[in-house]
Amino acid sequence: MNVSLKRIQAILIKDYKEFSRNYAISVMILFPLLFALIYRSDGGEQATMYAFVMNFSLAMLTSFVQACLIAEEKERSTLRSLMMTPASMLDVLIGKSSLVFIISAVVLAASTYLFGFESTNILLLVAALGISILLYTAIGTICGLYSKSLIEASLSVFPVLIIFTVGPFALLFEDDYPVLAVLNYLPSSQLSELLTNMEVGASGGDLYMPLVIISIWAVVVTIISFILYKKRLMDY
Amino acid sequence: MNIISVQNIQKAFASNQALKDVSFDIPKGEIFGFLGPSGSGKTTLLKILTAQLDPTNGGAAVLGKPAKLMQKSEQKQRFGILTDTSGLYERLSIEENLDVFRRLYDLPKSSIDKVLDFVNLNADRKKRVSVLSKGMRQRVTLACAIIHEPELLFLDEPTSALDPVNTAHIHKGLRYLNEKGTTIFLTTHDMTEAESLCERVAILHKGEIRAIGAPAELKKTHRDGTLTVELTSGKTERLAMNEDAAASIASWMTSGQIDRMYTNELSLGDIFIKLTGSELV
Repeated sequence: MNVSLKRIQAILIKDYKEFSRNYAISVMILFPLLFALIYRSDGGEQATMYAFVMNFSLAMLTSFVQACLIAEEKERSTLRSLMMTPASMLDVLIGKSSLVFIISAVVLAASTYLFGFESTNILLLVAALGISILLYTAIGTICGLYSKSLIEASLSVFPVLIIFTVGPFALLFEDDYPVLAVLNYLPSSQLSELLTNMEVGASGGDLYMPLVIISIWAVVVTIISFILYKKRLMDY
Repeated sequence: MNIISVQNIQKAFASNQALKDVSFDIPKGEIFGFLGPSGSGKTTLLKILTAQLDPTNGGAAVLGKPAKLMQKSEQKQRFGILTDTSGLYERLSIEENLDVFRRLYDLPKSSIDKVLDFVNLNADRKKRVSVLSKGMRQRVTLACAIIHEPELLFLDEPTSALDPVNTAHIHKGLRYLNEKGTTIFLTTHDMTEAESLCERVAILHKGEIRAIGAPAELKKTHRDGTLTVELTSGKTERLAMNEDAAASIASWMTSGQIDRMYTNELSLGDIFIKLTGSELV
């Protein structure tokens, strides 16, 4: 498929202007920063709360903004206009996802700084958060594609927020409800485990296994989002 | 050379036959009008010609290539489209909306000034789309469709929301574009627009083309063979065109009684009603 950097840049610039003037959506960048300040802590055992702040931010910022950007284009029929220009489906998807990726990366980095999380392996942390942003962007794309309006899109992100943010905490009841063990495989649980393992100085498989599981999630959900995107655009 | 060549296209949606064996050609440089009421199959055909839909049977060539390739970037660079579902970015200004399209078509910045002159919106370029009237939005949408001066332009009701002054301005611009070589495929309900702009029109009804030709030819074909004479006395006579009528006219002319005289031609709207038995709405 034909991909053009100039067209991706055109869509990125357009989305940035729209995002910066849409206060109902752009206000979302404040939540991760606010949560980082509220839950910041000094010293040891930061990982659990830091993972909560990151997981919440990924759902509330990354998935939410992406879902709203896609749903609004559909609702206002601008996606159809875009598809009649030389922009390919991939140009549009990459252009829209790039903005969300950049915003999420900057805000999560700022949140990490405000929270004061001390990482023993900065590269691993960047990789885990980068892959998670990709995953949550793909989830947002799916939510946006199946929403008819902006309001529907914003509501559709709540199940994601609840499952992925509360999931790791529900594991506290795993002994009473063994079925909850399945929540171990949530990407949010894996991110939490990775951060905890980093904090206690683990190495090798204890660090890389969660990253592999998050990566599998990211690849599978991104492929699904692309297939659905292609299919929904043809029906739309 | 034909810019559009449609061969026996059929399209069915479940039990509904939207298009039944539609065929026609549009040569390069023509303004072709596609007339039909809502649900007649106009939009379905437009979607097939722009590869948004596949036909059930038959095929079409557009800009020298099969219509199914119209979603390729190289082909999309060559045509423009304005439909009733074309959207604009509400939070951006007119100029910013056009800048999105300019960048997507990889055009110089001067293309924005040129197209704004074309749609008569240069003075309002900084206004946000959200505050524009329906007519102004329609003009911005049209500007987005023609910013790259396409070889082929698909227009679906381009002046439906415009006042007479702006309609005349757009018509003038479309003729100018056409003179520069753009072929225009226009769907409209407005018979005056079809007559003044189109070199040929096709009348579509329930998925079938009922008539095709130049508006003047269609009027000639469907005229009823009578003429009306308005006399100075205020009386109006409708006469069949034969020897008796010629004698009567000669007599009135000799005595200076004729005020006005004309052949009774049907309008395009009347022809549509005659061919389809339904109103063009």
